[in-house]
Amino acid sequence: MRLFAACLLPFIVPAVITGFIWSLPGDPASLICPPSVCGGTEALAERWNLNGGPVQFFTGWMANAMTLEFGNSWRLHQGLPVLELLTEAIPTTVSLIGLAALMVMAGALLATKGWLPRALDPLLRFMGLIPALVLALAGAAFIELTYGFDSFSDAGKIARLFVGAGVLGIADGAFTGAVLGTRTTFETEAQQRYVGIAILRGERLIENTLPNVAPALIGQMRARIIHLLSGAVIVEVILRIDGIGDLLWGGTLRQDFGVVLAAATLFATVSAVLLVVQAVLETLVALHVRRAPSGVRLERQA
Amino acid sequence: MALKHAIRAMTGLAVAVVGTGATLAYFEESIPMSLNPLYAKTMADHRAQELIFDRLWYNDAITFELKSRVVQKYQLAEAGRAVEITLKSGIRWHNGQALTSKDLCFTVDAMLDDGTPSPVAAHYREFIVGCDTKGPQTGLIRFNRVLPKPRERLSFPILPASEFDSTAISPDLQFSARPVGTGPFNGKRGLRMVTMDAFANTHHTPKIVQMQLQEGGDPLVQTKTLINNNVQGIVVVPPPQRPDLRASDDVSMKSYDLRSWWYVSVNTNRGALKDKRVRQALNMVLNRNELRQFSIGVKPNDKETPCEFISGPFIPASPYYNGEVAVQENSNLVKAEALLKQAGLEKLGGRWHMGGEPITLRVGMLANLDHEAPDLLSQVANQLGAAGFDRLTSKISADEWDNSVMAGSSDFDLVIGKWSFGLVEEVNELFHSKGRQNMFRYASAEVDQILGEYEDAVTDTEQRDAYHKLHKHLSTELPYLFLWKLDTRSAWRTEVNGAIISAYYYFTEIDNWSIEG
Amino acid sequence: MNRRMPIAVASVSFGALIFAAWLAPEHLGQITPELALKGPLEVGPFGTDTRGRSLVDYATQGAAVVALPALSAGILVGLFGVLGGLLRCLGSERVNAAIQWFSEIVGALPRMVVILVVALLLPREHRSLFPLAWTWALLAAPGAMDEAASVAERLGGSRFVEALRAHGYSARRIFLVHVVGYNLRPVVVRQGAETMMHVVFLEIALSYLALAENQPSFTHADSLKSWADLLKLGYPSLIPSLDYNSGHALWLALGLLGLVAVMSIAIGRAARAR
Repeated sequence: MRLFAACLLPFIVPAVITGFIWSLPGDPASLICPPSVCGGTEALAERWNLNGGPVQFFTGWMANAMTLEFGNSWRLHQGLPVLELLTEAIPTTVSLIGLAALMVMAGALLATKGWLPRALDPLLRFMGLIPALVLALAGAAFIELTYGFDSFSDAGKIARLFVGAGVLGIADGAFTGAVLGTRTTFETEAQQRYVGIAILRGERLIENTLPNVAPALIGQMRARIIHLLSGAVIVEVILRIDGIGDLLWGGTLRQDFGVVLAAATLFATVSAVLLVVQAVLETLVALHVRRAPSGVRLERQA
Repeated sequence: MALKHAIRAMTGLAVAVVGTGATLAYFEESIPMSLNPLYAKTMADHRAQELIFDRLWYNDAITFELKSRVVQKYQLAEAGRAVEITLKSGIRWHNGQALTSKDLCFTVDAMLDDGTPSPVAAHYREFIVGCDTKGPQTGLIRFNRVLPKPRERLSFPILPASEFDSTAISPDLQFSARPVGTGPFNGKRGLRMVTMDAFANTHHTPKIVQMQLQEGGDPLVQTKTLINNNVQGIVVVPPPQRPDLRASDDVSMKSYDLRSWWYVSVNTNRGALKDKRVRQALNMVLNRNELRQFSIGVKPNDKETPCEFISGPFIPASPYYNGEVAVQENSNLVKAEALLKQAGLEKLGGRWHMGGEPITLRVGMLANLDHEAPDLLSQVANQLGAAGFDRLTSKISADEWDNSVMAGSSDFDLVIGKWSFGLVEEVNELFHSKGRQNMFRYASAEVDQILGEYEDAVTDTEQRDAYHKLHKHLSTELPYLFLWKLDTRSAWRTEVNGAIISAYYYFTEIDNWSIEG
Repeated sequence: MNRRMPIAVASVSFGALIFAAWLAPEHLGQITPELALKGPLEVGPFGTDTRGRSLVDYATQGAAVVALPALSAGILVGLFGVLGGLLRCLGSERVNAAIQWFSEIVGALPRMVVILVVALLLPREHRSLFPLAWTWALLAAPGAMDEAASVAERLGGSRFVEALRAHGYSARRIFLVHVVGYNLRPVVVRQGAETMMHVVFLEIALSYLALAENQPSFTHADSLKSWADLLKLGYPSLIPSLDYNSGHALWLALGLLGLVAVMSIAIGRAARAR
């Protein structure tokens, strides 16, 4: 079912988003120039396929999207090809989320191994309370003062990326949640009777608990990555990182439908990919759990 | 002649390459939305386009004389209903092609094409009806009536016919981000920056090799970046940041004349505001000294202030400003109350009522004006509140401003805004009952008549007299409560030499700019 | 487990938030430039802004903007969690599949786009945080329903219900007391409390973005200030080279956010299972 859902998400989500943005007041063609001020608005609406309702617009857009024809940006970056915008945005956002996710996974790993002492919990909780906005603002000011006009050079962009990843990874409880959540999951599982028996048998705790908590951990990690994706919008806008989140935000504000739909489809695709990865990992875990443990003979019933 | 142009071009190119070799980086109010002159919406758009395109005619920054870099000669034709223009030869577009009359007429045809939804073109459609080529460099632009000073109205940039498939120019064409002009710089818009490389031509010899503009973020950070020499200029410095920059020895503050004046526009079609006495009372309620002091930071006794009060729709330095009309600097609540009572309003429980209903004024202000005049909206609202009016305040986004307020379909009672004019201060569109920029559809037969006198005037004196009459009339009718003219200031590092800033378009004299070191 | 302390902390912090909201003035105070950026020691209790206005107005108006919408969103998410848990107890495959589809689609939507669209759709005079908070709650609902459903599943789902039925309990008692009251309560209350906190953070993010993009506020009337204004005023103090004395505003903002976070954690702890 998960695989089926993953295949449909990149179609359903842009359809839902089309419905949302269609309901915004005004229309993109009139925003260029109100019909009462200048003519040509109707021709523009026809050129942008806005004259036949949301269904026509969406199906036309989807048909073009299949051949990677996304047109040019209408208002956000007027005249620039949307494909060019996406080509630049995708690796940026993937890097941003990837770095932040690495931080989060590192937290989970540290918690799994028990390498983070409990004494650090209050500090972790405090770190987790800091909103992304505060860190992002401070980070943006720091970068602009350090790099000056070169803050959008390659070095400046990399600095923004790392600061953004740090903000995403720390703020709003991302790192803290990974540490505390993973630790709690393992601790809860460790209270199960089978774990006690396994320890008495001389087996290691983690070998027994990990396969059983893996589905929960995978689900938690997927939820965290999706949470990072949401937070990425704010971080990209404030830190002025040219990623998918920034395109989504700016495109929605300026009713640049082509940009919004393309970026929203990417979002949905990422979510779908995570869904598939989750399904695959859970399947692998289930297969591993079903295999009989080595060195144990099962009694055959007469 | 051709040899002279060629030598000039070669010299210019050599100078541009060898001369200073420097990049001029500066912060703008915002990154230009479009580099296509037909879709210029913000002042940042106009300023960037000034670097990339040549306008048919422009005003000299110092003498204000009308000049042209692309027109060889012109003459009136068809009894004043047309002008024949001969373009200079040897001028190249950034794509290497030659500028010809075909480009001139293409530009006019594009502006007239119904398939070009351009607010800029809408203005030119009012009086231009067509263009015919009369030779490779000669074109004839025709008008729908006799225009006394046609050159003043023909300040549009020329577009290259070779870059378009048709005269119906859509805003999302790649030209908006990768334009081709005949200006001193060849520009390209990126996501965060516009980069402009010098392009030497027979009529341009820029000394700066490259210009880069970025959207300035936090004003504090911008200021510090400029002082630290990580950027060379800031085009618009908000008033709170000016003292810090003035105090720096490495930065010089320069005046940028946007010919702008601030106002509170009144919806003369709503409720109590239909009565002129109520509008006059609101004018009496406003304490302009206090508004100016707390928003702009200018105290009443400050000399040489960047912010001068006005009593009409022109800046004080304009020949159209009627100096006989006095400014209402301070409030006069007693007189305001008397006027409101005369208009039939009642004050019950400290609040004004009309027909038994309390009056609530919806006050709006264009959101991005908050940088230049912080808290102006809340201050105006507070003064109205102190005078006995309930109020609801809102900031207005740029889109709502263009599509609702300017289109005459907003439900505000009062709107705070700022008008900026080029050197041609025509206010007909603001006050004529059919004016495209008449935001609350103010209609007065007398005003229409005065504006008609202006249109029919053939001499400067007649035009001036008409506008003086308008100024006086509007000071009693008050479809606008006029506030002040506010000078804009730019900040440039002292290494930037020859920085002559033209009124409105800013970079008209960019060829003279250079950077030391 | 002693729950008195968390209940006390939750009550005091929530009470402080509501009291601050109640105190909020309709309009900001008078501008007095001579008192610009004074610290709390010079102008108590919290100092002033760049116009000499007291930061108490910022704190109270910000509380007024967030208090009730955050609470309502928390309650909404809690209710969704309860629904998720109860539906899992039904043991219906169809229902489970439908909920999972709903979760996947909602989870894949870019949340900030949905929130922004809702904000832009609101008529100017009805701009408030309520619709945005409810939208956020709806978007957060799948997570809450999922967690509550797994708690219900651990109980044994429909078998648990059957077992209690066999003891003679009524359906109402089973679902309201045993399922929701004893078992789902800790989860849904914690989820609701976290959502309250997230809504507050969402509000300051949206308010700041509106300021940065020269837009009217998305979450409140433009005559009000939000805690985002405090953060905007205060964050330059983090950069020493800017030499800007607004640290008191930053600390006030962080203190207020800390209050909300403490409240959220305390509510979650107070509802923990024994």
